[in-house]
Amino acid sequence: MGTRPLEGIRVADFGWIYSVPHATAWLGALGADVIRIETSTAPDLVRFLTGTDGSIGANRSGIFHAINTSRRSIALNLAMPEAQEIARKIIRQSDFVTENFTVGNMAKYHLAYDDLVKTKPDIIMLSGTPLGQDGPLAGSVGFGPTTQAFAGLCHITGYPDSFPCGIGGTWPDFAVGTGMVFFLLAALHYRDRTGEGQYLDLSMAEMVTSMMPEAMMNFLMNGRDQAAMGNRDESMAPHGVFPAAGDDQWIAIAIASDDEFTKLCEALGAPSMATDPKFGRLFGRLANVEELEREIAARTRVHPRDELVAKLRTRGLAAGPVYSTPELMEDPVFSRSSMLVKLKHSEVGERVVPGLPVDFGAIDLEYRGAPMIGEHTDEVLTELLGFSAEEIARLKEAKVLI
Amino acid sequence: MARLEPFREPPRALEGLKVVELPCLDTMPFLAASMAAKSFADFGAEVVKVEPPRTGSMERVLGPFRDEMPDPETGGLHLYLNTNKLGVTIDLENRRGRDLALDLLAPVDIVFNPNRPELNEKLGIDWRTITARFPKLIVVSITFFGAESPYRNLRGGDLVATHMSGVGCETPWHQVTDPSNQPPLKPGGRQSDYLTGYTAAAAAMCALYSRMTNGAGQHVDVGQWLSMISMIRPNIGFYSHETPDSPSFQRLSTRRKMAAQWVYPCKDGWVSFSAGTDRFWRGAKKAMGNPEWMDSELFDTNLGRAAHIDAIEAGAIDWLSTRTRAEVFEKAQAEHVPCFPVYSPAEAAGNEQYKARKFFIDLEHPAAREVRMPGAPCKFTRTPWRIVRGAPMLGEHNQKILGERIGRSDAALAELAAAGII
Repeated sequence: MGTRPLEGIRVADFGWIYSVPHATAWLGALGADVIRIETSTAPDLVRFLTGTDGSIGANRSGIFHAINTSRRSIALNLAMPEAQEIARKIIRQSDFVTENFTVGNMAKYHLAYDDLVKTKPDIIMLSGTPLGQDGPLAGSVGFGPTTQAFAGLCHITGYPDSFPCGIGGTWPDFAVGTGMVFFLLAALHYRDRTGEGQYLDLSMAEMVTSMMPEAMMNFLMNGRDQAAMGNRDESMAPHGVFPAAGDDQWIAIAIASDDEFTKLCEALGAPSMATDPKFGRLFGRLANVEELEREIAARTRVHPRDELVAKLRTRGLAAGPVYSTPELMEDPVFSRSSMLVKLKHSEVGERVVPGLPVDFGAIDLEYRGAPMIGEHTDEVLTELLGFSAEEIARLKEAKVLI
Repeated sequence: MARLEPFREPPRALEGLKVVELPCLDTMPFLAASMAAKSFADFGAEVVKVEPPRTGSMERVLGPFRDEMPDPETGGLHLYLNTNKLGVTIDLENRRGRDLALDLLAPVDIVFNPNRPELNEKLGIDWRTITARFPKLIVVSITFFGAESPYRNLRGGDLVATHMSGVGCETPWHQVTDPSNQPPLKPGGRQSDYLTGYTAAAAAMCALYSRMTNGAGQHVDVGQWLSMISMIRPNIGFYSHETPDSPSFQRLSTRRKMAAQWVYPCKDGWVSFSAGTDRFWRGAKKAMGNPEWMDSELFDTNLGRAAHIDAIEAGAIDWLSTRTRAEVFEKAQAEHVPCFPVYSPAEAAGNEQYKARKFFIDLEHPAAREVRMPGAPCKFTRTPWRIVRGAPMLGEHNQKILGERIGRSDAALAELAAAGII
């Protein structure tokens, strides 16, 4: 029997797009009661990014369903004071408030930390923004893909001597969301010991910069501005993506020692490369890296990708196929991993969505399908806040609940 | 006269927790455990970092080094990743060293072990052995593919995990025009190592909360591959909700550019912006002064814009080419269009926003003297992230931890040192 470690913890979640919803998907899976507070007049744009089986609608986005698991949804018109009061009532019974609006939005709704702490002194609130809550550029709008540019990450991502590149997976939204889980639980740990809540001000750009120590320390110690180096590494060669037989088929190979390089040469049927003075030792391979890569590419491109991957793996080498998402979904190990869960959604039925990327020995993860917009409005108002049916009807009539 | 209160540093969130970080013994650089343990150390946990004697841990060997001069005490990665940690040296490949390391785990809450299962089993530090001996301990395996995965003994690392996750296939993002000459690309630096570190840190906190409910420790299995796959969660929903013949589904299988977003050249460098959604498209139009070409109904929808991406880019680049990054940033932000300049590490380090928020920190280090480095990844108002101690010298805390903490006598430590075990 596993545990539900966050049972009894409630999250008033104003998060949208990717980073905060990713974090609260963890909390929900751990047993927390995550209440997503949203509005159908200005819904999360992710609800309309994609659809289901060809049709788009607020409750049909596959992307939304993949991220917003294990939570309830209530729909409030936060522009109205009465709706703000309902939000505050929920917050008074919550442990966390999470949000990632542009700076100032929560204050507009009288839901800033300074407002909330007056009635709920031990609340833990996390705000995620592109550049943080203060400073001259605090009001900037942005999300992961543009923020990686500000942080310095696009500059060091790219082909050698080429243009700066954006990173896939809307980096760093989900990386930041993963960090948020740690930060929130760290703050909870402190509250458990002392009874004191606090405000967490997360600047996405700062977190990204803190995750690129190679380039930052090189600049801070040596004044050197690191350039992009493709798939290469300063301490390994070859370290790259090489063509396999067929169209747009690639294999990633990382060689971490001279001994591993010898094994690679044998596997590629070119044992003499391993004794070539240009390539035998790491410093030679780094110095002649372009020629090295050409030689290897000429030998990888004749092999079907997966055959070559298998051949290199049996020799203990770090090699893998470059997967698109459809290929990844068919990987024999990933397709059976515990990270893929089939959940029921009230409108689109059972679909496969991603769970947590971690296996716990003794935690029962609690996965529930993403909510329709406002699916739990009545439930939350009745059970949590004790509103009567008449009161709820009046609030709907007055467009406080929408 | 007012009494002067003695100045007290604010508390840190994770004070009282004890963590041990074991070294990665693979030849492949793998810094995830180091980042996970740093996260705990910087928020106040006591972290003991175990390093191999003589060479020390990987981050001491990897650059960057000051003036390109390799030095195990002053490398940039070591100074950055090992802040606030206590350092001990133990040879895990020696049986007596292994026993010493296991003794270290007795009073500890969390151990991070970044080695592959087959090596752990050989050394007797696999999670089954450790959890059996220390039932309250949270044992976090941080491996390339997961400690219980059928791929558990395969070798991976930053490059392989990135490209097997689907992230590499999408990088560069919407910039690929010639797929055969633009191979899939990994992000700069070691993003997947550090992300996996955060995954492990978050998962360790989850297990800690589990222990509060029932008093028991557990094994937590964190793999770099799945951690990276977690970065493409939207694609998985896309895959399971749309039919393969839908026009938008092809985004998942093609690397070619599909949308008007991300990185473009301007007069004095590059900017990153997004005009991908209807709202941002309207904003971008206003920011660019409502040029006539943007009125075409071909551009009214996401799909329409994707189909005519070349025309949009030509128009956008034409406008951008006569404007600086600062002008583009200002005009776009005024219309609420996500846009930032592409900064180099030097520009990121010098920008006014980071300065105003005092993001970078300076600290004194006995070997490296003055060191500046990135600061808090998240600002906690009551229990701020803080460096109280620079990265340890190799074996600096052997006496304190192996002697005072686990009770090895001076003579025993001297003997272990002479045998090369510590």
